[in-house]
Amino acid sequence: MSAAMTNTEQKTIMDRLEPYLAFIGPMVMILAILIFMGIAEPARYFRLTNLNLILLDAALYMPMAMAMTFVITQRGIDLSIGSIAALSAILMAFLIKQYGFPAWVAVPLAIVLGALMGLINGLVITRFKVPDLIGTLAMDLVYRGLALVIAKGLVLARFPELITEIGRGQIPGFIPVPVVLGLITMAIGYVVLTRTYFGRYTIAIGSNPEASEMTGVAVDRHKIYAYVLMGAAAAMAGVMLTGKLNAIQATSAPYFNLHVIAAVVVGGTSLFGGRASMLGSLAGVLLLSMMINALVTLRIEFFWQSVASGVVIVSSVALYTWMQKKDRDGAHGLLAGLRSKEAQRLIRFSAALIGALILLLALGAGLATEPSPSG
Amino acid sequence: MSDQPLVQMLGITKRFGGVTALQDVDLTAYAGEVLAIVGDNGAGKSTLIKILTGVYQPTEGRVLMDGQPLEMASHSDAIANGIDAVYQTLALADHLTPAANMFLGNELTKNVLGIPFLDNKRMKTEAARVLEERLGVRLRSMDVMTESLSGGQRQAVAISRAVYHEDLRLLVMDEPTAALGPQETARTLKLIKALREQGLAVILISHSLDDVFEVADRVHVQRRGRAVGVVKTAESSVQDVLGLIVGAQDAAA
Repeated sequence: MSAAMTNTEQKTIMDRLEPYLAFIGPMVMILAILIFMGIAEPARYFRLTNLNLILLDAALYMPMAMAMTFVITQRGIDLSIGSIAALSAILMAFLIKQYGFPAWVAVPLAIVLGALMGLINGLVITRFKVPDLIGTLAMDLVYRGLALVIAKGLVLARFPELITEIGRGQIPGFIPVPVVLGLITMAIGYVVLTRTYFGRYTIAIGSNPEASEMTGVAVDRHKIYAYVLMGAAAAMAGVMLTGKLNAIQATSAPYFNLHVIAAVVVGGTSLFGGRASMLGSLAGVLLLSMMINALVTLRIEFFWQSVASGVVIVSSVALYTWMQKKDRDGAHGLLAGLRSKEAQRLIRFSAALIGALILLLALGAGLATEPSPSG
Repeated sequence: MSDQPLVQMLGITKRFGGVTALQDVDLTAYAGEVLAIVGDNGAGKSTLIKILTGVYQPTEGRVLMDGQPLEMASHSDAIANGIDAVYQTLALADHLTPAANMFLGNELTKNVLGIPFLDNKRMKTEAARVLEERLGVRLRSMDVMTESLSGGQRQAVAISRAVYHEDLRLLVMDEPTAALGPQETARTLKLIKALREQGLAVILISHSLDDVFEVADRVHVQRRGRAVGVVKTAESSVQDVLGLIVGAQDAAA
């Protein structure tokens, strides 16, 4: 009885760093951006007004990143948040403009409507057993469609002061109001994740759904809670967006989904469930906003933003997966895998594909005639 | 080991449709004793303990505790009566700390402004206490994820979840050593002995007769849904039990 079980192995540097990895990762990337911009365009990037701009952009995504951290930690995904934001903002706008609702009622109403849409998502996934990817993608179409049905092509503009204050208000000598709101939601998210039943069960469900069920955790109910939170957060972002632009239309917020998922995943929350990092999500949101702002500052065409976001998602997921694999199997050279028979086949296949592309390009160039303007 | 049986299963029969998984099985467990259930695949071991832990209900037969009949509609009824099980998969959430796992589904809370918040500090000290006092296990750190623990330590965390209930009287362990190396197996067997010394009744399901003879007091042998014998490990050999499992003695008779 006396002999205690102790592990004799020493803590490696990796072990010590592991818990903080989620935060260090984006921080290193943020640092890289700062250094790069410090060299490339210091005068315009490091202005106070630009810093304000970055924070203002990041604030919009903070509530959603907070909620998405819960959804992804439970091995879920929500692809409908852009449409939820648009639809709840449109509904709010109509209530104010058409029916004369006071803003202080319409704003919480929009958030409750968003929560309700999240509830529908949750029920579709848990009750109808539609996989989350398909379920929320389909509901994305539904919510976006409803927003278009209600608003047609209208742009609703000029909202009461409360809403513009939420979206772009400035606390004099301090940071913008939406940044304060965003940081508060992230802080609440952190407490909920670490100190409440919901947070604890979120990690348990993502880590081992069967075991959670066996130990009496209401798995479906807590999944629904996560989607409801997600819906409410998306609606909050919709209100903030409306205030920021002082206008809203049915096609607003098209890129919310991937931007938020990217921020959360870059922040070290694992798509495979169980690993959550609220601090990492905050760092991820800041990273993406800084990156996009850097692209704008460098006068790179707007459409490259989408390319950059995609590259950041793929590389960070690949990086985290690689690091976790290394933990278990011991290090192998990066190129060791290329020597296997299977890899050789894949290389030959890729070469053939690229060869076909080159051949067709050459053929097209060889047979090309003088281009004539179309239409 | 007391004279009065803690739990008795009498004439248990379980049919799934036309298949008879268990036929008229009796089983007795005593406090402070390790009872091993052995048998080939499909001999009815799992069905038997699922009835004992309230997961299944018997088609015929009764379960008695302290001589009183026990009606169990679900696993939680069994837990309420002091019967719990540690499954082969351990049912641990690998990304939670050992303390969080131990209290999973049963967290300790403190109220702040009327809202229940998890009391992580108290759960941590309680978990460390239970591991140390009941199982003699001290973890290097209580703050690591459970996935970083060794097989034996994970086993200890899973067992600590069951023994935390002070009124636990019977613990069923389903193949606790199946996935473990020799060293970890020895540690797990030591945990089982520690539980026996604390007066718990332990039912152990195992394929390893070496482990069974190392730790069990009696062996209950199942074959094709029937109990074909209960022997004391002190009075028999691995060969005898093996003979019962494969039915060699039936053939000889």
